[in-house]
Amino acid sequence: MRLSKGARAGIVLVSAAIAIGLILFGIFGYLRTYPPTVAATPSPTQPNTVDLTLQVEGAVGTGPHPQWVGWYAKDAAGKWVRTTIYQVPEKTYVHVTVYEYDSGGPLRNPYWGKVLGTQGGVEYLNGKPVSVLDAASGNGVAHTIDAPSLGLNIPVWGVNGNAKNFCQQGPCNPSEAHNVITFTFYSGNTTHTYRWQCFIPCGVGYLEGNGGPMAETGYMAGFFKVVA
Amino acid sequence: MAVEMSPSAAIVDQRDLEARGLKFARAWFTGNFFTGLVGGAIFYAFGHWLGNFIASGYTVVVNSGQNEIAVYLALIFGAVGFLAGLGVFNYPIQKLLGWEPKDPPKSEKRTFWEHFTYSTDHKVVGVQYLFVTLLFFLTGGLLALAIRTELLSPTYHIWAADTYIEVVGEHGTIMMAMATSLVLGPFGNYLVPLMIGSKKMAFPRLEAVSLWLLVAAYMVIISALWQGGFQAGWTGYAPLSIQGGPGQSDYDVGFALVGIGMIIGSLNMVATIINYRAPGMKWSRMPILVWGLLTTAFTMLLSVPVFADGLFIMGLDRAVRTSMLYAGHGGSSFLWENLFWFFGHPEVYLMAMPGFAMTMELLPVFARKPVFAYKTSAAGMIGIAALSFFVWQHHLFMSGMNPDMRPLFMLTTELISIPTGFLYLVSMGTLWRAKIRFEVPMLFVLAVFWNFLWGGVTGVFNSDVPVDTLVHGSFFVLAHFHFTIMGQLVFIVLGAIYYYTPLLFGVRLNDKLGKWSFWLILLGFNGTFLPLFMVGLLGQPRRVFEYALRLQHLNQFASISSYVLGFGILLYVFNLIWSLAVWRTPAGPNPWRSEGLEWQVGYPVPADNFEEIPVVLRSPYQYGVKDRGPVAELHPSAEQAAVVAGGEE
Repeated sequence: MRLSKGARAGIVLVSAAIAIGLILFGIFGYLRTYPPTVAATPSPTQPNTVDLTLQVEGAVGTGPHPQWVGWYAKDAAGKWVRTTIYQVPEKTYVHVTVYEYDSGGPLRNPYWGKVLGTQGGVEYLNGKPVSVLDAASGNGVAHTIDAPSLGLNIPVWGVNGNAKNFCQQGPCNPSEAHNVITFTFYSGNTTHTYRWQCFIPCGVGYLEGNGGPMAETGYMAGFFKVVA
Repeated sequence: MAVEMSPSAAIVDQRDLEARGLKFARAWFTGNFFTGLVGGAIFYAFGHWLGNFIASGYTVVVNSGQNEIAVYLALIFGAVGFLAGLGVFNYPIQKLLGWEPKDPPKSEKRTFWEHFTYSTDHKVVGVQYLFVTLLFFLTGGLLALAIRTELLSPTYHIWAADTYIEVVGEHGTIMMAMATSLVLGPFGNYLVPLMIGSKKMAFPRLEAVSLWLLVAAYMVIISALWQGGFQAGWTGYAPLSIQGGPGQSDYDVGFALVGIGMIIGSLNMVATIINYRAPGMKWSRMPILVWGLLTTAFTMLLSVPVFADGLFIMGLDRAVRTSMLYAGHGGSSFLWENLFWFFGHPEVYLMAMPGFAMTMELLPVFARKPVFAYKTSAAGMIGIAALSFFVWQHHLFMSGMNPDMRPLFMLTTELISIPTGFLYLVSMGTLWRAKIRFEVPMLFVLAVFWNFLWGGVTGVFNSDVPVDTLVHGSFFVLAHFHFTIMGQLVFIVLGAIYYYTPLLFGVRLNDKLGKWSFWLILLGFNGTFLPLFMVGLLGQPRRVFEYALRLQHLNQFASISSYVLGFGILLYVFNLIWSLAVWRTPAGPNPWRSEGLEWQVGYPVPADNFEEIPVVLRSPYQYGVKDRGPVAELHPSAEQAAVVAGGEE
C-alpha cells in the first residue's frame, strides 16, 4: 500500500504531536511537580515579622512514601500541608515555630548542634533560650534546618522514642510527645530562592541514614522562597 | 576467508531433515516490539511479586519502604520477558527440542513494519539501530536543554535540586549508553558486510539481540525519572549509589543491559570482520571504518565485562546488602571507581575511534584524494586501543589514590595523544592540496577537526596532575569532554547519516536545510561549550544547580547558544524525517561518487548484498589514481575467486 504525500505528512505530524505531548506530560506531569508552597503569615503582634509554623515527624503518613521522615507546614487556613517549600517576604524577620515529634540521637559531628544565623544566635527549646544543643545527652538531636546561603543552622531536639504517646504517623497532634522550638531569622535584602536541607542522616532503612528522604524535596529538603 | 551463505547452503528440504532424524519446527508466534512490551509487562509483574514474596518482611525493607530485591527481579524478568515477547527465544528453544527452525524469507524491499520486529537481516538491524540511537540522542539532548534552562539563573529554579541532579544523571547515562552504539550499531551493522564483501554478519541473531537489549535498556533507564532518578550520576560512585532509591537500580540494570548488548555486538563484529571478508579484502585494503570498528569491538570485549562485574557488585550491595563497595562495612568505594573507569576510560575511545574512523572514511570521498598514510592511521587506532587500558586511573587523581601512581598515569595519558595525533595528522595529510567538495557531509567532517582541536588540546592539559587538581569536577572538564565526544562523534555521525542516507533509504536529504542545520549546530555547539571552559576555570562545579551570581552572564550565553544548537538539531531531524517520509527525492545509485565497495551494489541493496561473493581488487581510496580499474569484481569466475583467495593478485 502506497500512501499519498499528504497522508505521509499527516502521519509524521501526528506522530510529532504525540511525541511533544508525551514530553510535555513528562515535564509538567512529573518533573515540574513540586510539593505546594506555604506562605508565612504576617505576625499579629510583631511589626515587620511573619510567622511560619512547622512540624516534623518520623513518618509523614501520606503521599508516595508514607513511611519516610518528613515535614508539614501550617497554611493560612490553619491546615497542615506536607511540604518543605516556604515563601517569605524579603527584608522581613521570619519567626519559625517547629513542633518536633521525632526521636533524636547523638550527632556524628557535634558542630551541627550549634545554633547559627538566628536573631541573638539562639533558638528557644520549650521556651528556654539555647545556643548549643549537646546531642550526646538526653534524647539528642533529631533534625536540623540548614540553609547555607542564609547562614542558618537550627538543631531540633528529639523526643523519647519509647514514649507511650510517641507519634507514629503524621500529621501529629499536640497530645503526642513533642518539643517546641522557636527561632527568628532575617530573610535578607534581595529576592532569592534558598535551598535548605536537614544535615543529619535520618533516612531510616538507608545506608548510614542517607538516601531516600534525605535529598528529596518535600521530605528532608526544600526551599525558602524569598519574594518581594 | 569469506563464508558462503547462499540459501542453497542451508537445509531446505524436508527429506534431508528426515534422513538426519530431524523435523522442521512449526512456526511459533512472530514477535514484534508490541508483543515484546506485553511480554515485558507480564514478566515485570511476576518479578516484582517474586521479590516481594521473598523479601517484603526484611527489616530494611520495612524501615525504608523500599524493596530493592523486588525492583531488581522486576527489571531483570521484565527484560527477559521483553525479549521473549519479541520471539528471541523461539529459535534456541526449538533447536534445544531437536526441531529445525525456519528463517523468515528476506526481501529486497524492506517494509516499515519490519523495523518493529526481531529481524536478523543486518540491513534492517542497522536501520533499527539508527533510529534507536537517534531516540537516545534526542532524549539526552532534551535533558541537556533542561539542564541549560535551569542554569539560566542562579536564583530562580525551574527544577528542584533533586530533580536537577536526576536530569543530569539521566542525560549523562543516556548519552554515554547511546554513544557507544552510535557508529557501531547503525553503521557497523549495516555497512560492514557490504564493505568487506559479505552476505551477512557472522551471528545475525546476536546482532538483533544486541539491538533489542538497547531498546530494553532505554526503557529501563528512562523509567528511573519516575522513580526518583539516580543522584549518583552516570558514574554511579559508591556509597551514593548504594544509598540511592529505586531509580539507581534502573541505572544498574539498564546499564548492564547496554553492557551485555555491547559485548554481544562487538563479539559479532570481530567474528564478522575476521572471518567474513571477501577474497582480496586484505588487511591493507580494508576500509578505515572497518579498522575503526574492529579496534573498537576488541576494546569493548576487553573492557565492558569488567564494568558488568562492577554493576553486578553494585546490585548485590543494593539488593541484598553485601558491602563490597561500602568502606564503612569493610568494602571499598575504590573498587567501584577502578572497575568503572577500567571500562569508562576505554569507553571514551570506544566513542572517539569509530568517530575518527568514520571521519577518515568520508574525508577522501570529498577530498578526492587517497587516504594519506593509511597504515599510520590503522596503527593509530591500534595504538589508542592498546593504550586506552593503561590510563583509567587519571580519573582518580583527586580521589585519594596512591600518589606514587599519579606520574605513571599522567605519562600514559599523555602518551595516548601520540596515536590520536596520528589520526589527526593523517587526516590533515589527506586534506593537503585536495580539491575539496563542500557538500553537507564534508562540512560536518571539517567541523570535527575544529571541535576536536579544542577537546584534544585541553585533554593534554587535563592529564597533568597539577592542572587536574585545579579543574577537577568543574565545567572546564565538562567542556573538554563535550568537545571531544559531541564535537567529534556526534558531528561525524550527523555527517555520516547525511552521507549514507542514499544507501540506506535511496533518498537524498535536502541540501539547503542540511547547510542551515549544519551552521546552526556548529555555532550553537561552540557558543554553548566554549564559554564553559571559562566558567569552569572561574570555579563553577558540575552537577550543582546553583552557582555564583558573577557567572550568570556566561551561563546565559551558553544556555541561549544551547537553544540554537537544539534548533539546529531539530532542523536536521526534520530534514531527515521529512525527506524519508514525505519528499523522498531519489538519490541515484552513488551520488557522492564513492569508490567504496558498499556503494557498488546500488539501492535497494539486494537481499543477500551480493549475488556472488565479490573479489576485491584494490583499496577503496584510490581517488585520482589513473587507470585504477574497479574496486571489486562483483561477478567473479570461480577461478578468479580461487586465485585471489589463495593470496595472489
